Amino acid sequence: MSTMMMRFYSSAAPKVPVALIAELRKRTPVSLNKAREALLASNNSVESALSWLQKDNQTSGAQKALKLSSRQTSEGLVALSVLSHGAGLNAAGGLRAALVELNCETDFVARNDIFASLALSIAHTAAFISEPTPISTTTSLSTPNPTPTPPKFTKLDLTHLQEAPLLSHSSPGLSPNGTVQDAIRDAIVKVGENISLRRASSIIEDAPLSPVPSATSALRLAAYAHGGPAASCGRVASLALLALRTSTPSTLAKLIRTAAFRDNLTTLENSLARQICGFDTLSIRPQPTNESPEQALYEQPFIMLQGKFNGQPVSDALNKWSEEEGLVQEGEQGGIEVLDFVRWKVGEPDV
Amino acid sequence: MLQLASCRAVSRSLFSGRSSLLSAYARQRVGGALNEITKRGYAEVFSRKKPHMNIGTIGHVDHGKTTLTAAITKVLSSRGGAKFTDYSQIDKAPEEKARGITINSSHVEYETDNRHYGHIDCPGHADYIKNMITGAAQMDGAIIVVSATDGQMPQTREHLLLARQVGISRLVVFINKVDMISDPEMLELVDMEMRDLLSTYNFDGENTPIIMGSALAALEGRDDKIGAEKIVELTEACDTWLQLPPRDLEKPFLMPIEGGLSISGRGTVATGRVERGVATKGTDVEIIGYGSTLKTTVTGIEMFHKELDRAEAGDSMGALLRGIKREQIRRGQVLAAPGSIKAAKKFLAQLYVLTKDEGGRATPFVSNYRPQCFIRTADITVALTFPEGTPDADSKMVMPGDNVEMVCSLVFDIALEVGSR
Repeated sequence: MSTMMMRFYSSAAPKVPVALIAELRKRTPVSLNKAREALLASNNSVESALSWLQKDNQTSGAQKALKLSSRQTSEGLVALSVLSHGAGLNAAGGLRAALVELNCETDFVARNDIFASLALSIAHTAAFISEPTPISTTTSLSTPNPTPTPPKFTKLDLTHLQEAPLLSHSSPGLSPNGTVQDAIRDAIVKVGENISLRRASSIIEDAPLSPVPSATSALRLAAYAHGGPAASCGRVASLALLALRTSTPSTLAKLIRTAAFRDNLTTLENSLARQICGFDTLSIRPQPTNESPEQALYEQPFIMLQGKFNGQPVSDALNKWSEEEGLVQEGEQGGIEVLDFVRWKVGEPDV
Repeated sequence: MLQLASCRAVSRSLFSGRSSLLSAYARQRVGGALNEITKRGYAEVFSRKKPHMNIGTIGHVDHGKTTLTAAITKVLSSRGGAKFTDYSQIDKAPEEKARGITINSSHVEYETDNRHYGHIDCPGHADYIKNMITGAAQMDGAIIVVSATDGQMPQTREHLLLARQVGISRLVVFINKVDMISDPEMLELVDMEMRDLLSTYNFDGENTPIIMGSALAALEGRDDKIGAEKIVELTEACDTWLQLPPRDLEKPFLMPIEGGLSISGRGTVATGRVERGVATKGTDVEIIGYGSTLKTTVTGIEMFHKELDRAEAGDSMGALLRGIKREQIRRGQVLAAPGSIKAAKKFLAQLYVLTKDEGGRATPFVSNYRPQCFIRTADITVALTFPEGTPDADSKMVMPGDNVEMVCSLVFDIALEVGSR
């Protein structure tokens, strides 16, 4: 290092010490030419070069992004963020989760930390900024207790999401540096590949202000992402909305307070989310448009569930599980049910 | 896991951050698709005079892999060592990828004074892995291409990890686009950073040849100092630094047994195709696999009902074995030079799970999946489990299209060695 420091004094031309360039590049992944330009413009101070780079990113970064924007992005990651799982110890919690697909050009970049963390942060942001869909209740006056329709997965408006401030998934308290779009542009500059946000979907339901101990049903979210460089992101990911139904309110409240039941429920949820991911799942129940019966979740053999129900059709396994856990008595209506799910695979044609 | 997460609490902690945002940017997205033309040519007669080696280029999309490949063929073609292959011929058609079945790599060949090279270029990590596992295009060495203007990039790390994963121990680095750099010290920095990174990933950072030039200059036939001359230097570095894989004939003898028969009055004959090495009459061999390691001697070699004194890699032969009963040999065992290979029941393997389109499974599998395993002539049930220490191994799944490392436990032991396919 010292020899390099000496060397730069010997020349007259506007010189930037290579040691500083190296230093700057250690601090932030920036191209050599850019690093040199930044140091030149900021009097060889690494600190001011960093802020110069940040400013420069907004102009030249945008140009770079525009230049690459026509290139095809078919690799990438699906990232998910679950901020609130639903019914917990207090028997009624909110739902808040989102799923995004972020694309890039090669899977080398898709495996890189910079990209994965960007995808996760966007998912986190999407889960955070989404508003609950207006609750419409089945307004039939004859029923005294109108059942609210369960929330659904809603596609997010990408323009809206891109203009939202990016919230870091790893340190959510940190105040954001810029919008989602800024962050994507910065990543484009860093990795030199086109990156595009393809789709985002979220599910939101705010928790009732006070827990309802009399509820006979509760909602839960299950999530899984497969084959990614970090947890919660991968080539395929799924989010599923589940309902637990009992005939008497006390049963549900009691079960949810039991640690063993909660453990078993978590295991089942993880298995369900994996099952949806692993199979080419298109619907919950058989649909005439499906090519094979195994595209319907309830018809698939439940291979992801360990234990005695392994390999049984998902619908049977769920019924038997509900009975065994005491959620329902034999022959009774209710139990655990999959209400809705999203399964996204990187690069698949959009449905 | 059943947590008492309240969205409201999260909202509150984050809201302050959200409001501090100063500016937002308009969305600029331009759609479009790449259109490339493909042409494919096939060579006429393959000469075996020079040792062959498969070499690949790895690098960022914009750093000039294709230009470099084209430049190499151009420079070498002027010396009669290649057929000039232009960009358009190197880049493969998008529909080839869309079909999904084709192994995604472009093949170009060229010759230096000492070697014949097959040149592989794949678009992505998964493609290289697939190539390696299926054996479609094994890379024996690689050229990492880095642009001097950018230097190494975040994903260069992934490039080196890939090289490690496909079993490459030596690399040559080509720093491209040096004509776009005015300050020679910048090149030193690229050099230094590259050597650092190579060492980090257990390559010989100190001695790895790093050649600096401009592939474009070579392709356009200008500035020979950084163009054509550097390309020649690069190919020479490949010749000297990258190691040739040992040729089959030089390896210790091995023949997978396809069948056995007894010839009355003479003894037991094991038949098969010699995988590598050479056997002559009187060669000592071991019969390995299915629980046995028997020492014996080849007392006679027959090919097409004619007696021979020597069989070499590629030959189908029958080997007469001294003192061996017919029942002692079975299909799936191997005849091998004593001590050259051992039998194993349990091994760690890199797997690529074929997708449904490729003729594989449609559904995922979990730990303890028991498929049939074909190793040489053997056909054995194998149990697949995740390596020890894998978190949540019980609930982990493997999907078609994945490449994973798994522990394979065979029902019987079979001759295996590091690198067996």
